[in-house]
Amino acid sequence: MTGLLGALCRIRQFELQVQRLAAAGEVPGFPHLSTGQEAVAVGVCAHLEPDDKLFTGHRGHGHVLAKGSDIEATFAEIIGRDTGLCRGRGGSMHLVDAERGVLGATGVVAGNLPLAAGAAWAAQALGSSNVSVVFFGDGATGAGVFHETLNLAALWKLPILFVCENNGVAEFTTREEHSNVSKVSAFAAPYAMPTKTIDGNDVLVVHAAAGDAIAAIRRGEGPYLLECMTYRMAGHFVGDAQQYRSKEEIAAMREKDPIERLKRNMLAQGVAQSEIDATVERAKQDVLEAVERARAAGRPAPSTVGEYVYKSASLDGISG
Amino acid sequence: MARVALEIPKVGLVMEQARLVRWLKNVGDTVTQGEPILELETEKSLVEIESTETGRLVEQLLAVDAEVHIGDQAAWLETDAASSAGVRAGSLPAASPSAARGAESGAGNASAPGGAAKSGGATASTAPSASAGNAAPTSAPRSASVGGAAPASAPRSASVGGAAPASAPRSASVGGAAPAIAPRAAPNEAAASTSARSIPPPSGTGSANARGATNAPPTRIMCSPVARRLAAQNGLDLRTVKGTGPRGRIQLADVRHAIEAKAPASGPQPLSSMRRAVARSMTISATTIPQFIVSQSVDWTAVQAKRTELNAHLQHGAPKITVNDFLLQAIARALLTYPALNSTFRGNPDSPDAAIVPAQGAHIGLVVAVENGLLVPILHDVQQLGLADLARRRADTVDRALKSRLKQAELEGGTFSLSNLGARGPDRFTAIVNPPQSAILAVGRQRDCVVAINGGIHVRPMSELSLTVDHRVADGRLASEFLRYLVEILEGNEWRA
Amino acid sequence: MTQTFIEILRRALDEELARDKAVHLLGEDVAAGGAFGVTRGLAQKHGETRVRNTPISEAAITGMATGAALCGLRPVLEIMFIDFATLSLDCLVNQSAKYRYMSGGQLSVPMVVRTQAGAAGGAAAQHSQSLEAWFIHVPGLIVVAPSSPLEAYGLLKSAIRMEDPVLFIEHKRLYTMRQEMPATVELPPIGRARVARAGDDLTLIAYSAMVPTALEAAEELARSGVSVEVLDLRTLLPLDMETIAASVSKTHRVLIAHEAVQNGGVGAEIAARIGSELFDELDAPVTRVGCPFVPIPFAPELEHALLPGRENIVRAARELLGTQG
Repeated sequence: MTGLLGALCRIRQFELQVQRLAAAGEVPGFPHLSTGQEAVAVGVCAHLEPDDKLFTGHRGHGHVLAKGSDIEATFAEIIGRDTGLCRGRGGSMHLVDAERGVLGATGVVAGNLPLAAGAAWAAQALGSSNVSVVFFGDGATGAGVFHETLNLAALWKLPILFVCENNGVAEFTTREEHSNVSKVSAFAAPYAMPTKTIDGNDVLVVHAAAGDAIAAIRRGEGPYLLECMTYRMAGHFVGDAQQYRSKEEIAAMREKDPIERLKRNMLAQGVAQSEIDATVERAKQDVLEAVERARAAGRPAPSTVGEYVYKSASLDGISG
Repeated sequence: MARVALEIPKVGLVMEQARLVRWLKNVGDTVTQGEPILELETEKSLVEIESTETGRLVEQLLAVDAEVHIGDQAAWLETDAASSAGVRAGSLPAASPSAARGAESGAGNASAPGGAAKSGGATASTAPSASAGNAAPTSAPRSASVGGAAPASAPRSASVGGAAPASAPRSASVGGAAPAIAPRAAPNEAAASTSARSIPPPSGTGSANARGATNAPPTRIMCSPVARRLAAQNGLDLRTVKGTGPRGRIQLADVRHAIEAKAPASGPQPLSSMRRAVARSMTISATTIPQFIVSQSVDWTAVQAKRTELNAHLQHGAPKITVNDFLLQAIARALLTYPALNSTFRGNPDSPDAAIVPAQGAHIGLVVAVENGLLVPILHDVQQLGLADLARRRADTVDRALKSRLKQAELEGGTFSLSNLGARGPDRFTAIVNPPQSAILAVGRQRDCVVAINGGIHVRPMSELSLTVDHRVADGRLASEFLRYLVEILEGNEWRA
Repeated sequence: MTQTFIEILRRALDEELARDKAVHLLGEDVAAGGAFGVTRGLAQKHGETRVRNTPISEAAITGMATGAALCGLRPVLEIMFIDFATLSLDCLVNQSAKYRYMSGGQLSVPMVVRTQAGAAGGAAAQHSQSLEAWFIHVPGLIVVAPSSPLEAYGLLKSAIRMEDPVLFIEHKRLYTMRQEMPATVELPPIGRARVARAGDDLTLIAYSAMVPTALEAAEELARSGVSVEVLDLRTLLPLDMETIAASVSKTHRVLIAHEAVQNGGVGAEIAARIGSELFDELDAPVTRVGCPFVPIPFAPELEHALLPGRENIVRAARELLGTQG
């Protein structure tokens, strides 16, 4: 549990730093924060090996960190440094850390679903026991490719875990406004896929459910759709004024803050407050130090802008 | 309001006469200072003459195809007084400009208002020397608006007859002339005997201009790019070519046809500008420059090894380094070591002011064969360049020479030329010095030769180098030391990459 | 003994499946032979895991091919008609083409998307298009358009060996073309055009099914003394300007012909490049022959009236050379 707590706190602190620097104008573009949704990332990724493949979306910082990516390199990418995971080419919405199986965040809602299914297909075709995990929000269920992918994954019995973070809003509209189907797990049945809806803000619950699902997938039982009910504490993106939420709503959710809940759990299990505080503090320090190192790094040289378009050397620098 | 006469300036070192190919501005057009106003064909090049005044072109005094001479009045511009005031102030001579001219040139040319040009070869007798006019003609530089003629100061926009001292007083084909000619100033002028000739009737009657009647506004010549290039390379005036393409466009076939037509298979063939210029230059060289030759063989082994090594590590897109680049760098070093050879002879042996003028830096000409002739662009300050940069500069210069895009400055200022006929050339040959340079190196083709080294028999890639030298500048000993040193460099290992 | 385009292409796929275990075929009806029969028999021979049928889900299967390519497979995806590539566009453009760049070089997408284009009598507007111009606009993609069975054989193998995503565009009318397979075929490099016919008076640039048409036009023009050089581009992205430059420097006149709509077509890019890089070589403006700005109609007379063919090329060439009729 200490490990889980540390992971949750690192993500929380990371997002706070992103928010802080974005407000100060140091973050290009529009980072999307996952504050409040850390439990899903941490609970699921605890069961993943480096060779398991992770895909996420525009709100993916937490998933990437939970999978094991280096904090400094991840932050550096978000602030556009040359030392970033993607050498400043991708940014917040396109984080990739191939060595640790983070095959990527993608900025097109639902665009990551078939990519993840493809990775699962590759694992199956190559006979490995790797699983593929894709995180997406409830808004992605409006996309046609969501249904196409569930269908194919079930049909081909692909080793893939679909994790939906249902936070009740997609961009700026609430779920009721864009679907009659309030629970995303309802979409699994038509494709004969096992599914469960859980409290996404309790990391222990997530941990347990994800563990069962992933074990089943590794046994070759096919894909699984795990729906985690959660709440987005920050706005859709930094700068979002959140006019669409009431004060009561917001207060209620603070009650459900996954970090607070885990702390309460740990205390109830006899863990010393001092240990809890130390864990929290260490996580915070790790992040702060990494952020400072990231900020001190150099920026990509403009002369390198044309690198990495193609892998084939014969296509280096072509203009078309 | 003032009227200013535009005069034909001197173009290049040896311009004697030229032909007006076409007007670039029509009567009534506004012309700004520095804007090209007409196009001349000289023996060497097709050149745009720029106006040195801003004003309105009110009269064209020369017709297309007219033979024109330095100092001829080409046009009248109407400017507002203020703008030419400055110029006017400085350079107005007391005497009537035309009188002055008449005195100098004797053949009263140009001053006649309508007097379009004509008469007498107004040659600038006091042509400032020093300018390295290349023997090799160039039909190339289109926009050398001259004045670059005045080597010392190549002011581009000087359609300033200012170059030729002869026309100095009026210089300024600009403001300087103005007052004398301006109607208002006429009364002063009136006294001059030639005033009648010098003041054009404001209305610019055509009568005096037997040939100077205002021309029909020139139409744009429609010509395809490749045809235009071929015409330029052959000194062919597009106005004389009939276009058979759509809307009368001149096409490649038309130019080829015209070139063939100009050179009939049999019978005497009139000279093209380029051939005439080469003939003139080589004749001057043969008759005024005493030349001798020293020769030596060079072993290319070291150069080849170095060249292979360097070319293997070239930057993407960089031109390959060639043997000529090595030669150029070696020549540059040798010239700086033997400054006596890096000089030009000025004047003639009998004149008191004859001198040997050293050059600052190594400015080397490279003989380039173009269609129907040759060009010798000068690479300036070769001593500053490493082989890679030299290759780049050389490739660019040769490319532009082939496309007739050299600038006037690239045809002047050298002391030494390099002529390499390449793999298809003869075993050995001697070249003629390009006046006003002092030497030229001819490089025979590379062949494998059996040589004796330290008593052993070896096969090495060799060439024969022949160095032709102006005996007024250097004698045999200096020349052979220079050549020996050059070969040492070429067979050595010290190169600046 | 001659074989058809389809048979020869099938042979290429068969050999590649045998050569490299990472090669996997997928697409609608692919295990059953594919819409045009190209993949017939391959599932039986190489196994249902190597050659897989998919449902009608272009978006998902393009995404899956991409995801699999990220993870060590070399998928060869069949998109039945290039008209349906519209459904694959989000993945092709936003993911496949950009994955390497966005990841800063960490990943690459060695996948091939086989599709086919062109009008072949009655397929009408939504099944007859030539949309290659859209794809040359996307940095990160490679676009290949073979002009004959042998060209397709070699180019497909070269495409499968590339480390970046290739759009391999076949043509309906070429599917029945016959050629004899030689004992060995040298694999043509991606990005290098070929001189299909040497000539001096005019450079005729074409690709895909327009190449045989261009050769016919050249033959006809030759009978009246005009020597046409036909260039088969083979690869549309990257474009082989070197071969084009060598030809234009010789002939000084260029005609570009393609079946796709002329406006905004591949010919427009080529013409612009020639105009800017080879201006001084031109004796006449660069001319294009392409399909007029009309969707492909259903009735045969209308379709025939619309599509550019041999006569259009011959007429345009004669105008370009200044000889009418």
